Amino acid sequence: MSALRHIIYREWITRVRRKAFILGTLAVPLLVVGSMAIGWWIKQGDTQESRVLVVDVAGMVSQWDERFESWVPICPECFPERASLTYRFAAEGMEDEAFIASDFDVMVVFDDAILQHHKAMYYYEQTPGLDLQSRLKTDLSVALERFKVKATPDLDFSAYQRLKTQVSLVGQDIVTRDGHAVGRSLVGFVFSLFLFMQILIYGMHVMRGVIEEKINRIVEVVISVVKPSVLMTGKVIGIGLVGLTQFIALSILVWIITLVGGMWLEHADVLKSSSDALVGLDLESWIAGQAELNFLLDVNWPLMIASTAMFYVAGFALYAASFAAIGAAVEQESDAQYFLIPAITPLMISYLLAFMAIENPEGSLAVIASFVPFTAPVVMLIRIPLGVAWWEVVLSWLGVVLTAWVLLRMAGRIYRVGILMHGKRPSLLELIKWFRHAD
Amino acid sequence: MERIPALAISQIVKSFRAHQALKGVDVRVNEGGIFGLLGPNGAGKTTLIRMLTGITAPDSGSISFFGTPLNRAHIAQIGYLPEERGLYKSMRVGEQALYFAQLRGMQRQEAEKRLRVWFEKLEVEGWWNREVADLSKGMAQKVQFIIAVLHEPRLLILDEPFSGFDPINAQRVRDAVIELKEKQGTTVLLSTHDMGSVEELCDEVALLNRGEVILDGPVHALREQARDGRFTLRFRGTIMEFTVAIGASAELIQVLHSESTVGEHEVMLRLSPEGDISSWLHWISGEIKVVACTPWKPSMRDVFIETVESRESNSIPS
Repeated sequence: MSALRHIIYREWITRVRRKAFILGTLAVPLLVVGSMAIGWWIKQGDTQESRVLVVDVAGMVSQWDERFESWVPICPECFPERASLTYRFAAEGMEDEAFIASDFDVMVVFDDAILQHHKAMYYYEQTPGLDLQSRLKTDLSVALERFKVKATPDLDFSAYQRLKTQVSLVGQDIVTRDGHAVGRSLVGFVFSLFLFMQILIYGMHVMRGVIEEKINRIVEVVISVVKPSVLMTGKVIGIGLVGLTQFIALSILVWIITLVGGMWLEHADVLKSSSDALVGLDLESWIAGQAELNFLLDVNWPLMIASTAMFYVAGFALYAASFAAIGAAVEQESDAQYFLIPAITPLMISYLLAFMAIENPEGSLAVIASFVPFTAPVVMLIRIPLGVAWWEVVLSWLGVVLTAWVLLRMAGRIYRVGILMHGKRPSLLELIKWFRHAD
Repeated sequence: MERIPALAISQIVKSFRAHQALKGVDVRVNEGGIFGLLGPNGAGKTTLIRMLTGITAPDSGSISFFGTPLNRAHIAQIGYLPEERGLYKSMRVGEQALYFAQLRGMQRQEAEKRLRVWFEKLEVEGWWNREVADLSKGMAQKVQFIIAVLHEPRLLILDEPFSGFDPINAQRVRDAVIELKEKQGTTVLLSTHDMGSVEELCDEVALLNRGEVILDGPVHALREQARDGRFTLRFRGTIMEFTVAIGASAELIQVLHSESTVGEHEVMLRLSPEGDISSWLHWISGEIKVVACTPWKPSMRDVFIETVESRESNSIPS
């Protein structure tokens, strides 16, 4: 037991202290946060205060106000005051030089022809962002709608607005009353994709580790001290723990970044209510207000993280057994390709099934795949955020554990013969012979 | 009373599919001695050693370790330096030596203390925190040797321990092996093709060929036995004159050395079974100019080659 502990520790420590591991672990959340920050920064650029001059030649949306001695909107609520957008009105456009010299960013010009062709010209020195263009279109459309309604004596604008209808679809599970199934299955997919990558990456670590020991002939010294099965078990557990360490580190990092980032966003008053442009919000309320994000609040994150860890452990053991046996059978990585294809095919299939399961997470294909030991680790993670009965999760996990145990024993037989064999790559038939005559 | 041997290998048979690697091998290694396991490539030495280290098991036969059947519990009392050996490149030197010591059940502190002593003895100090990848071949070999002996095993198995060393470091390791034998009473099983080391270190040897022990015994006895009545004679004259002179009284086995400038030759001879060396020497001195006559003592290299070649020629079907 002591030897196994030392082997596990060696496999773990020699990997987690590598710069590549540390940088790789830090890089994932930094990349995610970095890309979000860049997106936010770009958006900030778009939403910086823009001053727009609306040149309403025909006086359809603006009028002269004697008190202010300036043009004001006929319908002020059609052009709401926003922190990032200020409107000014005029009946005549500015000369180019005057516009360039002014503090206006955009000048929108239209006359009554807009009623026919629904087009307004706009001038700028720097191209306005899509967000600003969208707001301009919306505000101008509403103001012109109001003008048209007013110009139609038998139409009341408030009645028109009441009648105006825009339909959006809100789904809900009839039994669970759950309306965010697709969003949550996407969360499951992100976790299952991560698990798929971890199994593949660290499974390859197992194979390379075995090949290194075999090529360097270290294995002869080690197995003169411990049984080959102990060495293989230690290697699988140790490298498996590297993947688990990375997962835990990433979970903690993401949690810290969310916490600190959320506090900063709240403090910086960046998060605003969509209904009231000036009211700041905490992160959770802000997410709740975003239709496309509020499913994140429905996800049971601790359950998701725990399930991923559990299925990673069992799934990794299952696949690592094959990787260890392949490593023992060959003397260089290029020879391993021959055996790798059948070994990782079930893993690739589970990835494809997971992709298909996002569309229909409770379909029979996804349900069956979540119980097949070779595909269960990846596919079950998509179903879990939707609320799977606990016994289904346990049954699926036990199936993976049992299969992993059987495969580890089988791989151990090939491993103990293979690690001392040198020369040409064995055929599948020879591997079967090794397995049968390992005793 | 007969002493219990460190190793008693009895009637070991091992086959790999159709190939019989060991065909009933018997070897007895006395405690506290250095035993040479010799043999040409493919003779079965590594297979036998792997059985002693528990890596493989025999098909039949028995191995006893200090009087009890060899089992995994004995592994902690065996040190093993395989011929094909390596180190983990991703580890530092000291850390790696500690890892192997702990695998063998040693406490970290004790292992560290002993390692410091060995590192100093073999002049590896200063390499403790260096990467294994930075080590020269000879330096790596010394670290591997230290890993094999650190836990003070009762039986130390060394498979080609001197290969790759320069003469100075090879001597350093030889001295360390002798010290282990003399100070700790370690029994050493040495498998090597370096016959100089065998003569210098080994008390007894066994010669394996094609899975069988074809010769075994104390080194000095084997060399004496291999002399087979042969002696060397240095004379002045020509080989032709010498051949005519000795006639059938002696067998000219080999011309060892010729110095044509002074017309001197050194030859190896064997007298006929009824011949007496002193009367023969007296007689031949009258026929040719004898410069020197010495009994021939074969080296272990000679013993090895003659024994294997003789066995090989006997085994060729007529």
